[in-house]
This record gives sequence, C-alpha cells and structure tokens, in this order.
Amino acid sequence: MTDAEALVFVVDDDASLRESLQDLLGSVGLRVAAFASAQEFLRSPRPEVPSCLVLDVRLPGLSGLELQQRLGAGDLALPIIFITGHGDIPMSVQAMKAGAVEFLPKPFREQDLLDAIHQALARDRHAREQRAQMAALRRRFDALTPRQRDVMAHMVAGLLNKQIAGALGTSEATVKTHRQQVMAKMQAESLADLIRIADQLGLLPPKS
Amino acid sequence: MMCVWSHRPQFLHLGLFMAAYVLACGFAQSLAIVPGTGISIWPPGGLFMATLVLASRHSWPWWVLGGCLAELFSNVLWFHNPLPVAFLLYTGNALEAAAGAWLVNRTCRRPVRLETLQEVLALVVLGAGIAPVVSATVGSATLAWFGMQSFATAWPLWWIGDATGVLIVAPLALVVFQNWRGKAQLSAARWMEAGVLGLIFLGVAVLSLSGYLPFAYIIMPPLLWAAVRFEFKGAAVTLTLLALITAVFTISGASQFAGDPESQKHKQVMLQLFLAISALSALIVAAISRQHQMAVLTLRQSERSLRELIETLPAHIWCTAPDGAPIYFSQQFRDFIGFNVEDKDGDGASRLSSVLNAIIHPDDLGTVNTLFAHSLATGESYALKHRQRRFDGQYRWVETRAAAMRNSDDAIVQWNVICLDIDGEVRAQEELRLAQERLARASQAASLAELSASIAHEVNQPLAAVVTSASACVRWIDAQKLEEARRSASRAMAEGHRASDIIGRIRALAKKAPPHKDWLDVNETIQEAIALARSEIQRNGVALETQLSEHVPVVLADRIQLQQVLLNLMMNAIEAMHGVSEGPRELLVRSGTDESQHVVISVQDSGPGVDPQSLEHLFDAFYTTKPHGLGIGLAISRSIVENHGGRLWATANVPCGAVFQFTLPRGSEGVV
Repeated sequence: MTDAEALVFVVDDDASLRESLQDLLGSVGLRVAAFASAQEFLRSPRPEVPSCLVLDVRLPGLSGLELQQRLGAGDLALPIIFITGHGDIPMSVQAMKAGAVEFLPKPFREQDLLDAIHQALARDRHAREQRAQMAALRRRFDALTPRQRDVMAHMVAGLLNKQIAGALGTSEATVKTHRQQVMAKMQAESLADLIRIADQLGLLPPKS
Repeated sequence: MMCVWSHRPQFLHLGLFMAAYVLACGFAQSLAIVPGTGISIWPPGGLFMATLVLASRHSWPWWVLGGCLAELFSNVLWFHNPLPVAFLLYTGNALEAAAGAWLVNRTCRRPVRLETLQEVLALVVLGAGIAPVVSATVGSATLAWFGMQSFATAWPLWWIGDATGVLIVAPLALVVFQNWRGKAQLSAARWMEAGVLGLIFLGVAVLSLSGYLPFAYIIMPPLLWAAVRFEFKGAAVTLTLLALITAVFTISGASQFAGDPESQKHKQVMLQLFLAISALSALIVAAISRQHQMAVLTLRQSERSLRELIETLPAHIWCTAPDGAPIYFSQQFRDFIGFNVEDKDGDGASRLSSVLNAIIHPDDLGTVNTLFAHSLATGESYALKHRQRRFDGQYRWVETRAAAMRNSDDAIVQWNVICLDIDGEVRAQEELRLAQERLARASQAASLAELSASIAHEVNQPLAAVVTSASACVRWIDAQKLEEARRSASRAMAEGHRASDIIGRIRALAKKAPPHKDWLDVNETIQEAIALARSEIQRNGVALETQLSEHVPVVLADRIQLQQVLLNLMMNAIEAMHGVSEGPRELLVRSGTDESQHVVISVQDSGPGVDPQSLEHLFDAFYTTKPHGLGIGLAISRSIVENHGGRLWATANVPCGAVFQFTLPRGSEGVV
C-alpha cells in the first residue's frame, strides 16, 4: 500500500496458486518474485529492499521448514509467512518457534495474508534500519586510534581525566585532547550520548 | 551237621523253652485227675508247636532235643513212666508239634501273627485238629503196647487233651514270642477297661467254676469281650487264666468237673471240651474282631487320604444335596469365601440361595440362579464363568462346573461342584482384547488420517487458488481494472474445475478393487459373521436370536464384503443397546425371501431406536450419532449392498429399537 520498493517472494510448487498470489499482491501494489522451489529461490539474487517470504510448507526437494532453517534466525533473516494445504499443530509450532510471522492454512482469507505480509515487511524494514545504523556507528568507532579507544573505554566506565591519565600513564592534558577527538569522531553530543553509543556497539561490560 | 550247628538258637531261648516245657508238664500232671489215665490237657504241645512255627526249619533239631530233655526230666519228676514208654510218648509229641508247625507254616504267610481268620482257622484245624491225631495215635499205641491202657479208651482223651493244649497255649506262646520286645501302647481308658474286664472275668470264673453258679459256660461273655476288645492278647491271656483257675478248682475238688471216681472220666471229657470250646470261640471271635479292625482302619485311611486329596487340591470343591442345598465345602473353598456350609443358615431363604447371594457378583447372580435351577431340574451338567466374592470382599473371576452323582438306579444322590480361580487369565484376555481393539481403532484412525490429509492437501491447493483469485478479482473491480478482474475470475473458474477433477480421480482410485463374487450360502455367511461378533455379544450381555429360513436361495456375492455389512449392522445394534440399562437387550438376525423372491436379511435390536430426523441422514458419509463413530460404516455398507444389486434401509422396530434390512438378488437359475 505504501512501500513501492518493497518486494514479496513467493515459493509454491503450484503454478496456479503462484499466479493467483502474484495477481492478488499486484492488485494491492506489491512487487512479487515467485519461485516453484526452495532451490530456485536460494539461487536468485536478493535486492537490498524491505522484503518478506510467502512459503509453502510442502515443497518438492527442500521443504518449507528446511528452507526456514537454512535462512537462519539471525539479523539477516527474512520474515516468513507459511501457507499450507494441510498443516498440523506440531508443524505450525515448529515454524512459529523458528521465528515465522504467520502460519496460514489454505485456503486463507486474503486479508489475513495481506496483514501478515505488511507486518513482515514492517519487521524487515525496521531490521534493515537497525543494521544500517549499527554499520554507521561501527564505521565511526573503526576511525578511532587505539589510544583513543582506550580513552573512550575509560570514559564510558565513568573515570575522571585524572584517573584515566593515571591508568594509561600519561598526562591529564593529553587525555583531554584524546577526549575531544573521541567525542568528535563518534559524533557524541555528551558523555551520556557516548555511553549509549558504546552500549549499542556492545562495548560496556555486562552488568553484574 | 555244620548246617544244623550254624542254625542253633540262642541257649538262653533254648533254656527258657525247656523251663517252660517242664512247667507245662507239671501243669498237665496237676490236671490228670482221672485215676489211672495220667492223661489230661497237654499244654507242652501248644508251646512246642508255637516254638516250631516261629523257629527256622534248620533249628528244629535243637528244639526237638531241648523238648526231649525237658520231657524226660518231667518224667523223672512226675510221670514216672518207664524210659522207653516216656521216650516213645515224647516221639509222638515231637511228631505232633513238627507236623502242626509244618502244616500251619505251609498254609499261612510267615511270620504267623494270627491276625486273620485264615491263620486262626489254620491253627485250629491243622494245629489243634489234625496234628494231635499223630500224638494221640502214637501215645495210645504205646500205652496199649505196654498194657497200661486200652487204645480205644486212651485215644479220644489224648486227642482232646492235646487239642485243648494247643488251642490254649499256642496263641499265648505266639503272642508272647511276637510281642516280647513290643511296647504295649494302651491308653489310660484301655488300661481301665482291661482292669475292669479282668476283675469281672476273675469274679465270674471263680463263681462259676467253684460251683456257686450252676453253669461253667457263663464265663463266655467276659471271655468274648476280651477277645473282641483286646483281640489275641486278650484271648490268650484270659484263656490262660481260665485254664489256671479251672485247674485250681478241679484239683481242689470244688469244681463242677471234680467228682466221684465213677463220673470222673465223663467229667474229664467235659472239662477238656469246656476249655476247647472256650478257646475255639475266643480265638475265632478275636480273629473276626481283628479282621474287622483292620478293615475299619483301611477304610479310615483311604477315607482320610481321599479327604486330604480333596481338601488340598488347588481348586474349590463343594457338594450339594440333590435339591441343591450345600452339604460340604472343601478347606480351599472355605478359605476363599470365608465361611462354612452352615454359616449362612437361618435367614429364611434356602441354604443354596443364601450361599449364592453371599458369593456371586450381583450382575452374575441372575444367570447363575437360572443355570443352576435348570441343572437341578434336568440333571444336566453346569458350567459357567462368573465373578465370585472372596472373603475380603474382592470379586474374582472363577469357572464353576457341577455334575450330578447318580446311584445305580440313575437317581441323583449328590451334586459335585468344582470351582477354579481364573481371574488372572480372564483379566489377561480382557487386556489383550482391549489392546487389540485399541490397535485396530488406532490403525483405522491412522489410515483415515493419512487418507484425509492427502485428500485435504490435493483439494485445498486449487481451493486456495480459487479464493485468492476471486479476492484479486474483487480488488481489480474496485480499482476499475476490468481486464485484470476478468483474468482473475477465469482463473478462479478453472481452479474450481480442477478441484472437482481431483475429487473425481480419488473416487476412481477407490473403485479400483472389484468385489470377488462367489456363490454363497447366505445362512452360512450369517453364522460366520455371528461367530466373529460372538465375544462382543457376550461381553455386552446381549441375547442373540436367529431366525434363518431354510429356503433361502444361494446368492452371487463377495463373502468378505457381505460379512462386513452384517458385522457393521450387528455392531451398530450392540452399540445402540449398550446404553440400555433396563429392559432386554435382544438382537435378532433373520434371513428369508420377499414376494419377488429376493433374499432379505435383517438385523433387529431393542435399543433406543433411530429418531426420525437422523433417519434420512443415516446413510450419508461422515454422518454419525455416536460419540466416537466415524460415520462411514453405514455409507460403506449401503454402497456394498448396492454394488451387489440390492438395497439397504432402516425402519423402526416395535416397541423399541431399529431394524436394518437389506436385499440381495437371488442367483439366476442355471448359473453355477
């Protein structure tokens, strides 16, 4: 409805169902890429746009649940909506535990499918934003010199300049200079801001 | 010679024998009251014969020698006969003893215990009757030869004297020898009886023989009492006592048998006869009593072993009178039910019904009562498996069988009942049956689940396409894009047809197995199906009745399919009656022909029946009124019957229940 660049992957071995899904999703303005098997889908390129996967459980070769495992549940995971001609409870529990967005028995109500697809796309978009933000922070952190990183570690640990100088065996004036460099490179407005960035990068020691 | 030497008896025994022999000779002398005869009762004869009866044949020379010495010594002491006469007399006596012992041993089994009538008769006839003939003949001849007495006078006295001696002394000697080391095992009561008997005996003997009572034979009752109660020991001891008392009174002249010299000879014979008859009677009575005792003992032993057998058999055994009233419970049965035959008496009901009420499970009581009454009325055997109450209140499965015991007139004298605890087996069978049922149900459910899954998948696929395409169509119309809408609608139609095609293919698949038709005897097929359902019928307490017409023609049909239909209808009927707690559970299976000569088979139950609303859906697939039913049994049954060219329908039964009947076309004549 809103996202013109979003892409919905459909994997189902039934050609007419693929066609009718393309038809339905096209009618609400979604782009669709349809495949007859899991292998075909894995071979295809995936553009860096918000996307999700509408997946049949029973497929020739690699099954839907196996494909879900193959894609993994990590940051790069694609939100999956399962559709099935005959699903039982254990199967759906397994799929949902592995992170599926929805598990729809065929024939499904089109609104249920569309709601699930929008939810999946929103989830994917959010994940992508997170990933982009993290990448930017990582780039800033990578730009620090080793000594600046040491100073930053002591700063976020709450040490005063004098204490940092003592710990690193240098003068308080040098620490002050490094401190300004760190704040500038990390684009932090305040110490609190820097601590939040360090937290996102996973630099803070775990709280006991 | 060496042989005889090696068989020599102990010298102590030989010495005692000789001493007794001498004493017996003295006793004989004391009774020789008839002047000039010197012959009377001859106790040494009995002693000698008894000794030889018991001694081994090889040792006889020793005893003969010992007897010779003893008699010659006695001759010196009392008889004062010339030596040749004494020796010849002894020869006669020795021959008598040897002949008597030989005859008795030939007739009786060794050792001679005088325990049977046969042994007593052998001693009386052979020992006391025949053997004395030898000594009487030799003795009388000797006396005649030496001119001391005439043969004819001496012989009878001699014979009776020796016979009486044998009768009185031989049993005593045998008893003494046999029981020399045996311990007397008499109870206090028996000792008391012996004491009282002894006193009475002595009193009567003294009174009668002293002439106070007129009749000597009055001693018989106490004598026979002793013989009956104490057998040979009693007889031997009392006879000896009698002989001694008689001797004392006769010698003293007080006896009835003493008198003036004229009548003396006659009285001597009377005395000998008195003692001989007393001895004979006592011995025979003792033998009969002994034999009776042995028979009673044997009977008692066999009775005891039979009783022990019944009491300890690992089964419950009881007996009833011909009218069914229990008269005996075995130990095992008493232990099981916890009471004895009489314990349930006194509440007004018959003993049988109080016992059955106490031990039979209430649900089985009706059947047990009916069957038992039937058996009692007809005399037929009884067999039933039912639940029986144990002493602790637990009901256990038992198998009870009863059979009538009849006398020679074929009249029932008793009912013998055996009852086995089969609880373990019954429970195991029940477990097995339940397991089989669960397995069958599970496999049926599993195959049905698989079938339905694959059908669902096949059909849902095009249905999903239909729904999705139709949804797309609606959206295209909303967006005024009619070309796209038309394309979507056409796809929905095509997919709808595809779904119908799939269902058609599944039906074609199911029809692929053609029925295997044969010429069938309908009644036989029904009986086979009933046999398959038998356990269910019994388990649910359903009374089965069959009305199978003999004029049913053969039909061309698939036996297995036909039995499936019959089983399905019967199981439905049984299941329908399962909930019926009151009123009869009756299942009626009928075969026959209708007016157009079609075969008609009907299955009728007395269950709650079918309500009219259900009636029209009864044969629809997946329609069921049962909580766990699949709803395909009747649909399959109808399709089987229709495949055979027949019809299956249901009607209500009057007053309750349902009738399911189906027709089958009769096989056309000439086709075999």
